[in-house]
Amino acid sequence: MNEFYSLKFLDFFRPLFRLFQIDYETMRKILQIKLTMDQRRIPTIFASNMSKNKEKGNQYLKSLLVYALYGLVIIPFVSLGDNYIFLVSIIFGIAMFILMTSMISDFSTVLLDVRDKTILNTKPVHTRTINAAKIVHVMIYMALLTGAFIGIPSAFILGVQGIAFFLLFIVAILLLLMFIMTLTALVYIFILQFFSGEKLKDIINYVQILLSVGIIIGYQIVVRSFEFVDLNFVYEFSWWHLFIPPIWFGAPFELLLNGNHSGPIILLSVLALIGPLLSIMLYYKLMPSFERNLQKLMENNGSNKKKRLLLNTIWEKLICTSKEEKQFFRFASIMLARERDFKLRVYPSLGIAFVFPFIFLFNFISTGSFSELQQSNMHLTMYFCNVMIGIVVFMLRFSGKYKGAWIFQTSPIQTQSLVYSATLKAVLAKLYVPLFLLLSIIYIGIFSVRIVPDLAVMLVTGILHTLISYRIMTHNKYPFSEPFETGQQGGESMKTFLLLIVVGFFFFGHFLAMKFTFGVLIYLVILLAITFFTWKWIFKKTVE
Amino acid sequence: MITIHDEPILSLKNVTMRYSNNVVLNGINLDVHRGEIIGYIGPNGAGKSTTLKILLGLIEDYQGTVEVFGEDIAASDYSYKRKIGYVPENAELYDNLTACEYLTFIGELYGMDRHDAEEKAENLILQFQMEDVFHNRIASFSKGMRQKILIISSLLHNPDLIFLDEPLSGLDANSVMVIKDILEQLVAQGKTIFYSSHIMDVVEKISNRIVLLIDGEIAADGTFEALQEQNKQGSLEGIFNQLTGFDDYKQTAQQFVDIVTDGEGRE
Repeated sequence: MNEFYSLKFLDFFRPLFRLFQIDYETMRKILQIKLTMDQRRIPTIFASNMSKNKEKGNQYLKSLLVYALYGLVIIPFVSLGDNYIFLVSIIFGIAMFILMTSMISDFSTVLLDVRDKTILNTKPVHTRTINAAKIVHVMIYMALLTGAFIGIPSAFILGVQGIAFFLLFIVAILLLLMFIMTLTALVYIFILQFFSGEKLKDIINYVQILLSVGIIIGYQIVVRSFEFVDLNFVYEFSWWHLFIPPIWFGAPFELLLNGNHSGPIILLSVLALIGPLLSIMLYYKLMPSFERNLQKLMENNGSNKKKRLLLNTIWEKLICTSKEEKQFFRFASIMLARERDFKLRVYPSLGIAFVFPFIFLFNFISTGSFSELQQSNMHLTMYFCNVMIGIVVFMLRFSGKYKGAWIFQTSPIQTQSLVYSATLKAVLAKLYVPLFLLLSIIYIGIFSVRIVPDLAVMLVTGILHTLISYRIMTHNKYPFSEPFETGQQGGESMKTFLLLIVVGFFFFGHFLAMKFTFGVLIYLVILLAITFFTWKWIFKKTVE
Repeated sequence: MITIHDEPILSLKNVTMRYSNNVVLNGINLDVHRGEIIGYIGPNGAGKSTTLKILLGLIEDYQGTVEVFGEDIAASDYSYKRKIGYVPENAELYDNLTACEYLTFIGELYGMDRHDAEEKAENLILQFQMEDVFHNRIASFSKGMRQKILIISSLLHNPDLIFLDEPLSGLDANSVMVIKDILEQLVAQGKTIFYSSHIMDVVEKISNRIVLLIDGEIAADGTFEALQEQNKQGSLEGIFNQLTGFDDYKQTAQQFVDIVTDGEGRE
């Protein structure tokens, strides 16, 4: 077991912990164990491209590099002049989003670890010490993370805005950090009070997905927002600003550095100080009831009702032929919708696939007009939505619950190839087509119904792309049968990348077809025929 | 049989526990003395695990008094846990630690010196012939090996009072024999064991006193022989069935099989 620098640093605060009657030595031991275990865990931010990771080496330090990169986005705002409340609010808004989402996605496990109860609370250690260890554990990480995130920007701040601004910035960031940590815990307390543990796990799962999508979309928005930033913008107070924490933190800068002593600014500045302190007090008060409610995580009390969706039945009848295929279609649909690890790795790509086409549309608008856009061939940007297919199909073989896959081996399955064909159909019906339809509706809204034949072509290429991806990347017999950690070698992610070329190929064909009258319709018919026979051929071949 | 009647090691007085409106324990009175192996049995949901959780300080909002080593645990701090060992039911461990790391850590939590804990853990591991996995992660262990780690972690600090919740699950027949013998020898040396299990023949053989819990109340308390006489049943399993009012197991089994075979065998 290694010695940790963070713990050596913590040793300086030994008297402080003693003051609070915390058994420092024991707390340190618990922390050492926890940190050791964390080194063997992989943070979410890396989850979607784990192929880069090796067992050894501090995963966490690597993820800090990513946060340092995120931090760069703050830098342009730093030199935005002296409209402090505006500038600081934006910076703190970004910081709060990044810190809070990563707090929820990576440190929920710390706050919600129920093993602690059986292992630690049964030992001769005071609960105060255990809780302190828990909080310090999260604090160490949040401090590192925040350090990485604001490290480079704060050097800029020191250079551009001077020492006073810099010091105030550091104090404000510390307050924000306290606020975020306790706020997250308070949110959990609230959720656990009213909902079951399963619900909480679902919520955490969605936050993790949101983090991955949010960062990519957020970047686009932040970068673009620069074009709209009006430097002569005059701040006007509205009552709802009281409920937006990033604005609280902007106020003290205005108050102390710009000498703005107006009532609202003073009120907001007070909130920046009181808010974090109040949330800590509230947290301290609610901690015992939180511990009690944690018990809920160990119970399983969901609704005991059978769910059956009409839509499912329609899809099933429409696209599955045999009874066996229908049954695997149902199974795969449930797995796609409920398996949390799978969702965590796949749903972000779906979000990106949805947003990507729009990014190109916005790019067009920023140089041309909207009516020009309507007349253009920019609707072909919807091909970017197909980019996700390769990744999703690749991920199909993995599952967090891969151990359950023995059932495929031991049960008398007649036609093995049906398992995968049904799973692919489930992906198309449950993930791809809904996404595609949603995008199509918006696109038809923009470009009018003239693009319907083109959309049909794109849909068919999507299906064909699914088949090609499957053929190239899937070698195992059954879906959801491998653990996420293994098998994600570099070669595989190269393949997902190469599959992007397939999209380009279809796009190029489409582009050529548009040059001829009825070209698109002919292209559609050809693609339909190819897709139909490829499907037959691929799933016939694997039967042998 | 050694039953030394001095101050009780463990004493429950009128202990009641409610979860919202659900009464889990209803006025439990129980004195446990030094050198006893209590077989704590009862149907699923009778309140066995809840009792253990109260005794270990995991649940605090119970009513009544609980004394361990003569100290009221509600009034005392955590220090009474120093002489207690515990094997939890659902095998919870930090399994991304190695066996060595985990056992040393647990030993230290009980106040042992780090090197003593590690050395003792290694010696104990050796007895189970697991020395070649001492530095492997527990996540890679089989169920039986994990269980052995749990048992070692509960005994490492030489406790006087040992709580075992289904300690033999996943162990093979040979290991079961070893553990049973370990328990007997520990008791002979004056340790007290609180043994909670569903496997009746083990409880029957191992315990010198059996406490049966039904719906949060003590339904029977005494030596196996005394229970045998009272209930005119040959085995603890029979006594258990009788006292829990479950005498239609044959019928239940028959109905189950009928559903499985669609009634084929009956005509």
